[in-house]
Amino acid sequence: MLTLTPSKKRTLFFVAMGWALLLIGDRIGELRQYQGSFVAMYALAIGSIILLTGYSGQLSLGHSALMAVGAYAGALSINNLHLHPVIALVIATFVAGLFGLLLGFGVARLSGPYLAGTTLALAVSLPTLANQFPILGGEQGVVFDVGLPPARFGENFSQYKWFFWISCLAVLVMLWLISNVVSSRYGRTFRAIRDNETAAALSGLNTGRLKVLAFSISSGMAGLAGGLLVMLISGVSPSAFPLSLSFSLLTGAVVTGVYSLKGVMLGGLVLVAIPEIADSLVTRIGGSEGFTATLPGFLVSALLILAVIFAPNGPGKLLHSFKKHG
Amino acid sequence: MIRNTRMKRFSVVSAVVALGAMVFTALPAQAAEPGLTSKEIKLGISTPLTGTAALSYGKVPGAMKAYFDFINANGGVYGRKIKLVVRDDKYLPTLAATQTTNLVLKDGVFALVAALGTATHSKAYAAASLATKKVPDLFVNTGFSGFGNRTKYPTTFTVLPSYAMEAKIISKFVKDKFPGQAVALVAQDDEFGVDGVNGFAAGSLSIASKTLYPQGYMNDARAKALVTGLSAIPGKPVVILFGTTDVTALIFKAAESLSLTSKFTWIAGSVGGDSNTLLALGVKPTTIDGVVAASFFPDAKNTTDQYVKEFTKINAKYNPGVSFDNIVLQGMNSAMLTVQSLRAAGKNLTRAGLIKAIEDKGSTFASAALVPLNYSATSHIGYNGYWMGQLNAKGELKPYGGTLSIVTTDSTTGPITPSTFKRPSMPKNGIPTNS
Repeated sequence: MLTLTPSKKRTLFFVAMGWALLLIGDRIGELRQYQGSFVAMYALAIGSIILLTGYSGQLSLGHSALMAVGAYAGALSINNLHLHPVIALVIATFVAGLFGLLLGFGVARLSGPYLAGTTLALAVSLPTLANQFPILGGEQGVVFDVGLPPARFGENFSQYKWFFWISCLAVLVMLWLISNVVSSRYGRTFRAIRDNETAAALSGLNTGRLKVLAFSISSGMAGLAGGLLVMLISGVSPSAFPLSLSFSLLTGAVVTGVYSLKGVMLGGLVLVAIPEIADSLVTRIGGSEGFTATLPGFLVSALLILAVIFAPNGPGKLLHSFKKHG
Repeated sequence: MIRNTRMKRFSVVSAVVALGAMVFTALPAQAAEPGLTSKEIKLGISTPLTGTAALSYGKVPGAMKAYFDFINANGGVYGRKIKLVVRDDKYLPTLAATQTTNLVLKDGVFALVAALGTATHSKAYAAASLATKKVPDLFVNTGFSGFGNRTKYPTTFTVLPSYAMEAKIISKFVKDKFPGQAVALVAQDDEFGVDGVNGFAAGSLSIASKTLYPQGYMNDARAKALVTGLSAIPGKPVVILFGTTDVTALIFKAAESLSLTSKFTWIAGSVGGDSNTLLALGVKPTTIDGVVAASFFPDAKNTTDQYVKEFTKINAKYNPGVSFDNIVLQGMNSAMLTVQSLRAAGKNLTRAGLIKAIEDKGSTFASAALVPLNYSATSHIGYNGYWMGQLNAKGELKPYGGTLSIVTTDSTTGPITPSTFKRPSMPKNGIPTNS
């Protein structure tokens, strides 16, 4: 029998996912392609939180700001440097990663609520800073245009399918890289620091440097997610990165199970589904416009509380414990 | 054991993927002409319902719905009732992009109407692929002349005169009425403001001081610094405010607190000169008294005007509790233009047919404005002129110098000419019967 190493299995799994998504992309309508792109983007952003919190034990409430860094970097490279959108997305990843690295050095000594507080301040302040620099376009922001799909795909190849392809491919590649990282030596050292920083330091690990590394990788992932987000809405502006985005991502991570990258797609699905559910609820029971505007936030908060009470380790663990006891 | 949990996890993931795939595939395919049945025409609007911009423009969808309800109660358009789907974009470009996409993809509207804003709608137009989907994009509430670019915005019809036209007309007005006075221009640094700045250049107005600021930049302290700086200009300078109403209000309030309101002759552009909103934002009536502004509509308080009279009646019945003002007038007028467009496109309504109908017959539609509509196969810009007026302390706009003088022009270097336009009379009982 053919034996596969875990890393080959992982690669095979991602290739299979890619094939599945390619087939799915052909069968669904434009709306689902658009929503699917959002699911992929959210999955990546949630993955960045899981890597940081679940694997390296650091808590960030400021990932929306890191996404904004990537998004602006990508938009500026398209508009001002006239680079190819794919390169712009790579730049988004690296600039956000670099920003995370610098930030990581600054906050490496902080942990728990202090780190959460610092990153929260970042999420509040960073997007509004964009208003101070005319090159960032103020409240109206700057355009992020990936352009029309290549003509060789034919006339029926819609913009949304193009978005779907770009998002899914970018997210699969990134998650494949990250899943390799977390199952490597680095992943083990991250987990060692998470479980007991003192013990990890005593075993000879440079905990400060590793924490900064985790922060930087996580920021890079968030930056790419930010770039994808503004690609989907054709432009980047401070309003694309509200504080509530950080909280939604955190909820997504908690709902998925913060200790494993495996369920990020579920988290993405939940975040895309919530406004839909809110919409249909409002249509069914009737209600004011203000009600529609606030209901998604309420649902996200409620979900976070319920997840923390009933399934703090994610639905996978919950199912597992049901089986054990039941 | 390890392999076992791995397999388990793998199967959970694949189950989720399969579930997702099933949800995705269980969707109906799109019909040939979305949003259209034999009984209904579904239209969509993305506009602010909450936030500062909603203070003034939040009334537009209600006014349009009221007029559509009135038409529906009188037989609809060739038997079809009009349904208006409203989505709140808070006047944020990012939200406008997703809400417009939602209108097209999720709500499946036949056409979009009366979207608000330049930055918001230019992002939304691209994000929702309106050009490739050929979705009619009717009567956008912006004067950005860039929307007249037929290659980039093939399905868009704007309704307001362009900002460039407005700037040219204001230029001539200032040169005629305030010769020798220094002119200061304060404009928003985006497509909207820059469109205006180009218009002032085309109108060859010499500007002593020009301030461009990004949207969201102005606050109390900056407004005070700006007004203090402008007060150093000798004489009674003419200050032209070419930004949104919230910024106009900030600058007026800064001038109030510095006791400098009477140091300047104020001219507020059409976007930032809505008196009701200025008063609601806390500007004193004495400050507004005497401010010069441009308009292309009759005053909404003038009930001797046949359009205002008929719309006021419809508003009282179908939009109860909402006072009739310029914004309601604009909303109802756009709704009436929409009904005439749908009628002009005939019983076999198609998206392409609707666009063609407006190009062919749009310039003859009945409308409340005192200036002509400019639609043709080569122009998708709506009104093309203005009259200059002066606000009184109640916020009413009265013709400058007592006599109404309407002028028309274009967005580039064309001349400014007095208008000889005869406004079509209001259709009987406010119900269009055109075809």
